[in-house]
Amino acid sequence: METGKFIQQLGKHKGTSNSSALRSNVGCISVTREASPAFFTALKEDYAFDHCSLISAVDNQSGFELVYHFSIIGESGQMLEVHVDLPRDTPTIDSITHLWGGADWHEREAYDLMGIYFIGHPDLKRVLLPDGFAGHPLRKDYVYEIHEEEW
Amino acid sequence: MAEMWIHMGPQHPMTHGLWNLRIKVDGETITDAVPELGYLHRSVEKIGERRKYFMNTTLTDRLCYASAMTWTHCYCLTVEELMGVETPQRAKYIRTIVLELQRIASHLMWLGAYLPDLGLITGFLYGMRDREMFLNLLEIPSGGRLLYNYVKIGGVKRDLPPGFAAKAERVMQTLEKRLKEYEDLYDNSKIFRMRTDDVGCYSASDAINWGITGPNLRSAGVAFDLRQADSYDAYPELDFTPVTTSASDGISDCFSRYRQRIDEMYQSMDLIRQALAKMPEGKVMADSVPVRASGEAFRRTEDSRGEALMYLVGDGTDRPYRWKIRSPMFTTVSASPHFLKGYKVADVPAIMGSIDMCIGETDK
Amino acid sequence: MSRQQVRGNPGMRRGLGSRTSNPTTMMEDPPSGDWLTLRSDQFLKWVDDAVYNIAEQTGIRDVVNRVTRPIFNWALRYSPWPLHFGIMCCALEMGAAGGPDHDSERMGVVYRSSPRQCDILIVNGPVCEKLRPKLKTLYEQMADPKWVIAMGECAIGGGPYWDSYSVVAGADTFIPVDVYIPGCPVRPEALMHGFLTLQKKIREQEPGYFLRR
Repeated sequence: METGKFIQQLGKHKGTSNSSALRSNVGCISVTREASPAFFTALKEDYAFDHCSLISAVDNQSGFELVYHFSIIGESGQMLEVHVDLPRDTPTIDSITHLWGGADWHEREAYDLMGIYFIGHPDLKRVLLPDGFAGHPLRKDYVYEIHEEEW
Repeated sequence: MAEMWIHMGPQHPMTHGLWNLRIKVDGETITDAVPELGYLHRSVEKIGERRKYFMNTTLTDRLCYASAMTWTHCYCLTVEELMGVETPQRAKYIRTIVLELQRIASHLMWLGAYLPDLGLITGFLYGMRDREMFLNLLEIPSGGRLLYNYVKIGGVKRDLPPGFAAKAERVMQTLEKRLKEYEDLYDNSKIFRMRTDDVGCYSASDAINWGITGPNLRSAGVAFDLRQADSYDAYPELDFTPVTTSASDGISDCFSRYRQRIDEMYQSMDLIRQALAKMPEGKVMADSVPVRASGEAFRRTEDSRGEALMYLVGDGTDRPYRWKIRSPMFTTVSASPHFLKGYKVADVPAIMGSIDMCIGETDK
Repeated sequence: MSRQQVRGNPGMRRGLGSRTSNPTTMMEDPPSGDWLTLRSDQFLKWVDDAVYNIAEQTGIRDVVNRVTRPIFNWALRYSPWPLHFGIMCCALEMGAAGGPDHDSERMGVVYRSSPRQCDILIVNGPVCEKLRPKLKTLYEQMADPKWVIAMGECAIGGGPYWDSYSVVAGADTFIPVDVYIPGCPVRPEALMHGFLTLQKKIREQEPGYFLRR
């Protein structure tokens, strides 16, 4: 289905806003956190997005933002970018591991590096940093020592 | 019940990179597996925020060092999308040619590392010898043999010198002759077939669910190639169809993954010949590349190992605000426990080698 | 008799014939000088000390060392066995150095998978915080004499990742490094030159092994 038409259809779901077409085969939409579980289920079941490409966590200093990229495995290469805003003090969201198995480690990495907690994830623990590491380094307020004077 | 956990790694000749695979074995049979990454976590995303956009090409080369050109290219495509830079047509063709040369070099590196895993140590020498031919070819325009820093934002660094096409043709003819020898040697080898047939199987639907892309997905019969589906550079003007193999209907095993990469090498050579024939004259670098960028952009490309995606957020300064890298091997390694269970400990090198891991990109 | 140091201490040199006693099973010391009351391991240590003292004081040790040092040194120089350990990009160049185009095996380089069987540890990539204790364990498992080659900018001083929160600023912050090979990545020819430099260092600086303490 063509990007413009299916973006319009997606825009009819509850809690969505800012729908647009980024490129000829890429759509973009924003969803609220509360409406996201139903929206993602609809994406998987009704619109046949069978591949979760990436889950990025962005630290806008007023809050967090999760950017999901989904795609359809097929000749059209259709993609969708979904933005979800999270408040700074409770960065939690429902996990989508039950829909897309490939989202498993992406969510673990978002937890590891940015501190976003995914409710319902089967095994949410650090994946890249050592287990005893304190803090979430990709946050903008993470401060660490850079030995510039030794260089 | 003699169950125990064995750590394979981080120092292990099999590992193809620095990671730890903990397998739970009952005698010799694997009942569970937990991959542990992070031994190579260089926080590229964080230090990328401290560097300017054009300085990050040194970091992207080192993401997957076996296939460095494709990662720098993905980053440059993303930055060009963010800044709105248009690359000249000749630069697009040059990028296509060096990307396909890099893909062949990466697959030869995989071949040279996979066969010793199975005990066929001569294969290491063959793979290295052929790979050196392609590294010498890539050294001609870029100056580097492993890490090139060649693809730049707005084009490529230097034009291909005259005589490059003839050299490339000679190298490709040599490789075609040698690949036929290797097919005779390995495809008909009883031990090789025994170790790779019906080992490490997964179905196409499982692979799509687990997020596996690239040759690992195409070896299950799914004809999904980002060079066609989400085309970039000169690929829209080249004539090709995605190569697929599969052991039996929609099942991928180690042998089909091996055959997939050999077939992809043939396809890459065909693409290089087409691109060399069609390449137009012109500049190789855009006239002006802005220094500052704002907004968001993402691009995905077909890396030698799967779908590489980069997502950049710019805040109006000359450094990225957020840089996110998607590594195809990250999801494949996360899915590996599923197709390790039920096999023997001795099958672990065969299975983990066949998915062509490069830990540099998973650990970022 | 003083308490011996525990096994695996890299600082401890072992010569031909010195023994270590396990401190947990040591009993109290016998009266010194009375060799009839010594246990077998104490007797052997007494003999070892006596042989060493006699050889040292009469100068025989020096003479024998002059003869044996060139032989053992030749054997050490021309059979450096590195550990099969690759971290990052320089590891691929280390592998390419072992290929037919730049054959490293003609220098006697044979990669071994177990650190107990190795002479050299080639650190060929950035050392992350998570890897550092494991690398130290690998280094300590190697038997004397051993050398470390820091291959590439990441191992020398952090490389392109010098300002990362998880990369250690160079391998020499926690293990002693003998040869530094600059490059990013190190060309196989440069690695061969690094092996030659290590050979020169072994020839010039490595003391003899006869009755070494």
